[in-house]
Amino acid sequence: MIMHDLFLPTPLPLLSCGIAIMLGSIAWRRSIRRNLSIGLVTLLLALVSVGSHIGAAPVDGAALFLQDRWAVYTAGLVGFSALCILLMSWRDMSGPRADTGTGPHIGMRTDPRTDPSIGAPNATLNATPAGASSGTLDSTSIGDEYSLLVLLGTLGAFAMVYAANFMPFFLGLEILGISLPGLIAYRQGHAMQACEAAMKYLILSGVSSAILLFGIGLAYAATGSLRFGLPVAGNGIPPLVAMAATVMILAGMFFKLSAVPFHMWLPDVMQGAPVPVAAFMAVVSKIAIFSSLVRYFSMGHAPPFLDTLLYGVIVLTILVGNLLALRQTSLTRLMACSSIAHMGYLLIAFYSPGPLQPGTLGAYLAAYTASTLGVFAAINAFATPDGTDGTTILDWKGLFFSRPFLATAMALMLLSLAGIPPGIGFFAKFEIMATGMDHHRGLLLLVLVAGSIMGLYYYLNIIRLMMVPPSLPAIRRGPGASPELTALIIVLSMIVVVGGLFPAFIIHPLFPAYQPGPPPAAVPTQRLTPESM
Amino acid sequence: MSPLAALVLLPVLGGGLAWVLDHPRLGAALRLRDGAWRMSMLTLVLETALLALVTFRHPTPAGPWLAHFYRPWVPPLGIAVRLDMDGLSLALIWLSLVLSLACVGVATRQVTYHAGVFHCLLLATLGGIIGTFLATDLFLFFFFWELMLVPMFVLIAVWGHENRQYAAMKFLVFTQGSGLIMLLSILGLVIAHYRVTGVLTFDYFTLAATPLPPMSSMVLMTGFFIAFAVKLPAVPLHVWLPDAHTQAPTAASVLLAGILLKTGGYGMIRFNVMLFPDAAARLAPIAMGLGIAGILYGAWLSCNQRDLKRLIAYSSISHMGFVLLGIFSGSSMGVQGAVIQMLAHGLGTGALFLIAGAIGERMHTRDMQVIGGLWRVMPRLSGTGLFFAVASLGMPGLGNFAGEFLVLLAIWPVSPLMGALAAIGLVLASVYSLRMVNSIFLAAPRPEPIAGADFGARQMVVFACIMAFLVVLGLYPQPFMTFSTPSPLPVAAGAATRSNAP
Repeated sequence: MIMHDLFLPTPLPLLSCGIAIMLGSIAWRRSIRRNLSIGLVTLLLALVSVGSHIGAAPVDGAALFLQDRWAVYTAGLVGFSALCILLMSWRDMSGPRADTGTGPHIGMRTDPRTDPSIGAPNATLNATPAGASSGTLDSTSIGDEYSLLVLLGTLGAFAMVYAANFMPFFLGLEILGISLPGLIAYRQGHAMQACEAAMKYLILSGVSSAILLFGIGLAYAATGSLRFGLPVAGNGIPPLVAMAATVMILAGMFFKLSAVPFHMWLPDVMQGAPVPVAAFMAVVSKIAIFSSLVRYFSMGHAPPFLDTLLYGVIVLTILVGNLLALRQTSLTRLMACSSIAHMGYLLIAFYSPGPLQPGTLGAYLAAYTASTLGVFAAINAFATPDGTDGTTILDWKGLFFSRPFLATAMALMLLSLAGIPPGIGFFAKFEIMATGMDHHRGLLLLVLVAGSIMGLYYYLNIIRLMMVPPSLPAIRRGPGASPELTALIIVLSMIVVVGGLFPAFIIHPLFPAYQPGPPPAAVPTQRLTPESM
Repeated sequence: MSPLAALVLLPVLGGGLAWVLDHPRLGAALRLRDGAWRMSMLTLVLETALLALVTFRHPTPAGPWLAHFYRPWVPPLGIAVRLDMDGLSLALIWLSLVLSLACVGVATRQVTYHAGVFHCLLLATLGGIIGTFLATDLFLFFFFWELMLVPMFVLIAVWGHENRQYAAMKFLVFTQGSGLIMLLSILGLVIAHYRVTGVLTFDYFTLAATPLPPMSSMVLMTGFFIAFAVKLPAVPLHVWLPDAHTQAPTAASVLLAGILLKTGGYGMIRFNVMLFPDAAARLAPIAMGLGIAGILYGAWLSCNQRDLKRLIAYSSISHMGFVLLGIFSGSSMGVQGAVIQMLAHGLGTGALFLIAGAIGERMHTRDMQVIGGLWRVMPRLSGTGLFFAVASLGMPGLGNFAGEFLVLLAIWPVSPLMGALAAIGLVLASVYSLRMVNSIFLAAPRPEPIAGADFGARQMVVFACIMAFLVVLGLYPQPFMTFSTPSPLPVAAGAATRSNAP
């Protein structure tokens, strides 16, 4: 590419540089902490620079990337989430866990706290062989590439968010898709499960990418352009080709988004993955793909045949996601199902374009990000080096008595996800309803209400469990969470509460200037990150 | 700061302080026993003083709205913090405060298990309820409506009786779920208003002037009605109530029965009848039918209970049936009767729950056949119980009678059959009330001695106050009737609503 029409949003080269530096540092001498620090600094820089770019945008709109409000906003969310996730992984990676080998699981069984009714038998059974295998791994090698893969995945997500062309979009998707299996397999102490999940993700994501690629090919055949947007069949091309292209691209995207007919993989994979990686999948990759989905539809009018299709997908996604979540015993699995349901709610707003839509999407994404990250941070903080990893719901019993701060934070996040004030999720759900009402999506909103009632049940069930008084007098469980996790939880709780009480901050930046048509490539962007809330 | 905002915030702040004061080290440092209890008592006294200030100063006697508070909240969506107080809200807030004072005065000092959190949640619920009574921005109303449920859920789930977790979940799922339907209705109304005028607002007074086609106003009103009917509760939607009331700790039962149910009645008056008068008139036969069903069904089930708290809970359903009947009778007398009935039921049933809690604390059971014959041992407790049981059956001269009588009077011209059926409810009321009195207080005493003291002076003072209120309400309800009439909407809005009537 010739230098003078180079247009690159700054985070992309920044992240690439960071990755290169990290590779060099690994080649020089392995150090988990140094790599984590490089990762954190890079992500911080990327987050600060989401609104800036290198070079001038081409006037004809034929750029590979564009950087409008929407892209900047979602990129900010992606960067913030990746930062949080790397912070969450800090202790897992650099802490003493890798050295303890099989110790934890023996300790877990003899621990008087975990009476047989609490400890889920599978977890213990699965843990034993896996723990043994983790002991054989060299503890110094674990975690070194972890931050590299997180950075790589974030790079992919950034590329997708900024993409204005199928090429960077697909490249970003693949970079994200390649780094995830590696991350998933990082779960210590559950190597078998993690490998299974990684394989599952690798294969299914490969299939969906293939479908997506086929769709892109068809779109190119129909329009002769790789511009990221709904294909409009040119002259002489049967409209069926454009239609097939749209359907295949949508199928691929829905697969990554885990909308319902394509949702099966998410609970399994998230359950197998380490907790921070599960958060990465639930937040970063979902935001990236959702952002692209909005971009894809924002450049043109959706053909009418999509209406029924989307309607069906939304209804199914909400209902099935919530129904699946009702009877889960694993917290990460429950979060996966609830994340499916939340994508369904988001799709309602996505499906109702109008003056309210940008604010709604922004608010909902922010709410979903903050609350989901909060839940995962709490799970991470709950895990003790010699106890459970916090993914079994029954382990949370009586937490209000043993660790009141953590339990309060967790309850706040769950309330926010359930859409109860004062959490930010309440306002977000309210906005979704307002947007849907504006479009007379009566049926969809009734489905949303039904889904929310189910959601109330399973979210509050966890809170209820946390409030069951322990049969033994409350034991303060070891030392509390590590300081970085505590800080993270406090920051996220503040976002959730302040965002819920003063929601004007979140929706304000997105409201005034949003054009559903092709947005001008280089709007003088206003920087917006979740911290500014 | 405006007194209205202070009224809402004070309980929440006081609750927070109570939580802090309960910290053992802090309590030891201050040499303070029962720090949380003292703090909440102080908060309630301050709140009462504030309310008295609002009640008795008359800076602007021009309109029916006594006080007003406004501050923008989410300007892009036209959401504002908007609080207004008229006679109806004022009366219900007085009821809330009297009951909370009684509650804290009698029942919560014994709570030792995480007392700070308990008082904090109790006061937070109170704050939410007061906010609900004051909010005139629909979003804010909904915010408070949802906000008061979570602390109540925790109160039931942690401090309740044996089956508390189940009851708490049921309570929350029912009330929150119906709340979401109301939210849909609120949004429908707002969007309809936006379509017509191009102004996005959640202001109650502005929205009241929205011209609506009859069909959509019916749909929107039904959405509101469902949420309020769950809270009130009206009969097919009442299933959460017996469990929640029975399983909740005493103080929470009092708040639930005494005030929380009244938010349903308040909402019906303020948001069903006054926002959608025509649709409400069309729904009236169904609503009144539900009211009758509630009166008879609640009373019938109440006659067959052995569990004392469950009996009182079912009697609440029966009494709230009269409220529903009165609100939808279509006459201002019916609404006045409903308001009197709400006040009287709040005081009477609140006191009954306090007594049931006191009995439960002394006898460790709620089974009426096990309790038996308290009169000999605890004459003061039994006398108080007898008074409130008689109030509950509608003895002339007490508040419930005034309310029920007004409702019956209002319903008679509408439909004599309904009047007759509702009157049967009164007969059943005397059956269950007297059955309760018989088996608890008057039956033969149990052979083994009963441990536990009779009511002391403090309790008797509290109950005497409630009794005095009930007697005044029964003997001289006129000032309450004129005072607590809901303010009509501003003239312009009212005229617009009327002119848009089909």
